[in-house]
Amino acid sequence: MGAVPSTMDEEYLVRRIALGDRVAFDELYRRTSPWLLVRLRRRCADDELVAEVMQETYLAVWRAAGAFAGASVGGTAVGWVWTIAARRLVDALRRRAREAQPPPAVLNAPAAPAAEDQVLDAQVGDAVGAALRRLSPELRQVLQAMVLDGLTVRETAVLLGLPEGTVKTRARRARIALREALS
Amino acid sequence: MTDHVSMALLERYATGGQGIAADTLWAVEAHLEGCAPCRERLGEAVVRRSPEATALLAAVRAKLATEVASSPQMPAQATRRVGRWVPPGIWPRLAMTIVVIAAALVLDLLGGGQFVLLVAPVVPLLGVAAVWSAGLDPAHELVVASPRAGLFMVLRRTLAVLLVVIPALTVAGALAGASPARWLLPCLVFTAGALALGELIGLRWAASALALVWTAGVIAPSVLAARAPLILEPVSLPYWAGLLAVIAVALVLRRDAYTGLRSETWSVR
Amino acid sequence: MVRAVSTAETAATAYAWTIHADGLRVRAGRRMAVDGLDLAMDTGVHGLLGPNGAGKTTLVRSIATVLRPAGGTLTLLGEKVNGRLDLRGLRRQVGYLPQEFGYYRRFTVREFVEYIAWLKDMPAAETPGAVQRAIDRVGLTDRADDRMKTLSGGMVRRAGIAQAIVNDPRILLLDEPTAGLDPDQRLQLRALLRELGTDTCVLVSTHLVEDVAAACTDVLLIDAGRLVFQGVPADLAAAGDSAGTSAGTSAGTSDSAAERGYSAILRRHRRERES
Repeated sequence: MGAVPSTMDEEYLVRRIALGDRVAFDELYRRTSPWLLVRLRRRCADDELVAEVMQETYLAVWRAAGAFAGASVGGTAVGWVWTIAARRLVDALRRRAREAQPPPAVLNAPAAPAAEDQVLDAQVGDAVGAALRRLSPELRQVLQAMVLDGLTVRETAVLLGLPEGTVKTRARRARIALREALS
Repeated sequence: MTDHVSMALLERYATGGQGIAADTLWAVEAHLEGCAPCRERLGEAVVRRSPEATALLAAVRAKLATEVASSPQMPAQATRRVGRWVPPGIWPRLAMTIVVIAAALVLDLLGGGQFVLLVAPVVPLLGVAAVWSAGLDPAHELVVASPRAGLFMVLRRTLAVLLVVIPALTVAGALAGASPARWLLPCLVFTAGALALGELIGLRWAASALALVWTAGVIAPSVLAARAPLILEPVSLPYWAGLLAVIAVALVLRRDAYTGLRSETWSVR
Repeated sequence: MVRAVSTAETAATAYAWTIHADGLRVRAGRRMAVDGLDLAMDTGVHGLLGPNGAGKTTLVRSIATVLRPAGGTLTLLGEKVNGRLDLRGLRRQVGYLPQEFGYYRRFTVREFVEYIAWLKDMPAAETPGAVQRAIDRVGLTDRADDRMKTLSGGMVRRAGIAQAIVNDPRILLLDEPTAGLDPDQRLQLRALLRELGTDTCVLVSTHLVEDVAAACTDVLLIDAGRLVFQGVPADLAAAGDSAGTSAGTSAGTSDSAAERGYSAILRRHRRERES
C-alpha cells in the first residue's frame, strides 16, 4: 500500500479496492462522495436517509469491488457508484413508505436562465435545452429520474411517490414535448 | 470535454441548485458524472459553501471507517466465472464418462477387443442426460423457469459435454486403433437423437433408452461374435449422416419443449 | 449514463391484474391439482394458505411458467400463458423460490446469485451491484462469500430469496420461504416482504397462518384446487371469532383467531361441497 497518485482514474481505484486497499477506498470516497452527496440531496430532502444511502453505497463498493473490477464491460466506476446509490435510495424510500409517508422529493422551482450560465453544448443542444426549460417541473422530474438517473418506471414511481401509471403518462408527455421542440 | 462547469455554477449546485435553469442543471449533472476534474472542484465548492453537507460527509466517512474495518470483502480471486456453459452439477457425470472410456481402453489393450469403438457412440449420453434433468441438476427448477431456458442453452451445455468427451475418445481411440472417422458421426447422431427424443419423454429417459438399445442391439452381439458391427464400418457413414440431418430437423421443429411449460403427464421429474 | 427510454417501457399498462386466473386447471402427475381456480391479484403481499395437497405448489409452479395449464386461462402481466407465448420477456419479470430449493453446494452465495442473475438475462454491467444488493436485503452480507454447503437451513432459504429478488421481479413467488427460519429471521423476512409488496406482486405460499396474518395484505385460501376464500387478514380473524363462539368446544386458548378462522372456513367449505 502507499499513496495513490492523483492521476489514477476511478476504475484503477476500484481494482485496488478489490485487493483490499484501504488507501484507495479512502481516495475514491474523497473524490466521489461530494458529488454523490449533492446529487442525492437534490433527489431526497431527508439528510438522514441520504447519509444512510451513502453509507450503504460505499459499503457495497467495498464488499463487491472484486465483482465490479471483473465486470468491466462498458460503464465507468463513477457510473456504477451512481447506479448502486440510486437503487439503494429507492430501497430506502420503499422501507420508509411502509412505515410512514415518504419524504418529499426535491422539486425545483422553475427558474429563468441566469445570464452567467453558459449552457454546456456538448451535453444539451440548444433546442433540447430550451425544450427542457419549458417542460413543466413534474414532467422534467420524471424525465430526469428515468433518463439521467437510469431508473425504471417502477423505481421512478417509488422515488417520486407517484403511481406507476402517472409516471408513464408523464414520461410519454415529456417525450412528445421534446420531440415537438426538436422538429 | 472542453466546456467545464464554472466555479460559480458549481457553488450554486453544491448548495442545492436553486435558481439554476433546468437545462443547465441537467447538463451539469450529466457532465459531472463523466468529468473527474469538475467533481474535484465540486468537492472544493461543497467545503466552501455548504457546512452541513461537509459535516454529513465527515459523519459518513467516520462510520464507514469502522464498518469497513470489520466488513468482509469478497475475495479478489472470486471473480472466476462460474459455469455458464456447463451445468454446475455435471462434473461427477463427466468423471464417470472418463472412467468408462478408460475402462474400455484397458479392456481393448488387454484383450484386443473393440470396446472403445463400441462405447464411443453412446458414452456422451452419460453427460448429456445431466444437461437438462431435474434429477441430475439440483437447480433445474430454477433453470427451466428462467428466460434463458430453451434449446440454445441445451445445445450450449451439450457442446460443453462433447468438448470433454470427444478429445478423451480421440486419445483412447488412437491408443486402441479406433479412428474417429468410424465413431464420430454415430456419436453425434446419438447425442442429437437423445436431445430430440428428450423433447418427447424427457432427456434423462431418452438418454437411458438409447444407451440401452445400443447396448442390447449392437454392443452385446458384437462382443459375442467378437467382431466390429457393420454399422460402425465406413460403408455405413452415409446412413449416419442422413439420420443426423433428419434428427436435427426434428430437434429444431420441437424446440419449444425445452422452453418450459411442461405438461406434468409426460415430464418425468 | 443518460439512458435511452423505450416507448414500450412507458406504454400505458393494458391489464387490470398482475396475476389473473380464470377457471385454471393444472395437472400434477395424474391428479388435477388445481381444478377450476379463479384468482385475481395485484401489487401487494398475498398469503397463499391451504392444507397439504390443496394445490399450492402446483399453482405456484404454473405461475412460474414451469407447468402448462391444462385448462382455463392464466394471464400474467397481461400475457396469456399458453404454448404460443414467447416466455422470455415474461420470465425476466418473475422471481421464484421453489419449495424444494436446489442449489450448487460448491458455489458461494455470491456465485449462486450471480449465476441466477445470468440465467435471468440481466445486463453484465448491472449484475455485481444487483447481486450485492439482493444479498444485503436478505441479511446474508457476512456470509456472501461462503460456500452454500456451509450454510444453515435458514441461511440457504435466505440465499434462495436473494436469487429470487435479484432481478427486481414484478411477480415474486415464494413457496414456503419461512421453512427453517428462526423466529428472529422470520420477523426480518416479514419486514422484507412488506417492503417488496410496495411495488411487487408477492405470492407467499405457507402453512403458517400467523405469517400471513403478520406480513400479508391479502389472504388466499385454497382447498382441493379451488379458491375458497380471499380477503384481508382481518377477515380471516373475523371468521375465526365467529367460529370460536359458535363451535366453542375444541378451540384451544392458544390458537389465534386467524388460525381458527382458517379451519372454520375450510370446514364450512367442505360441508358445502359434500352436501
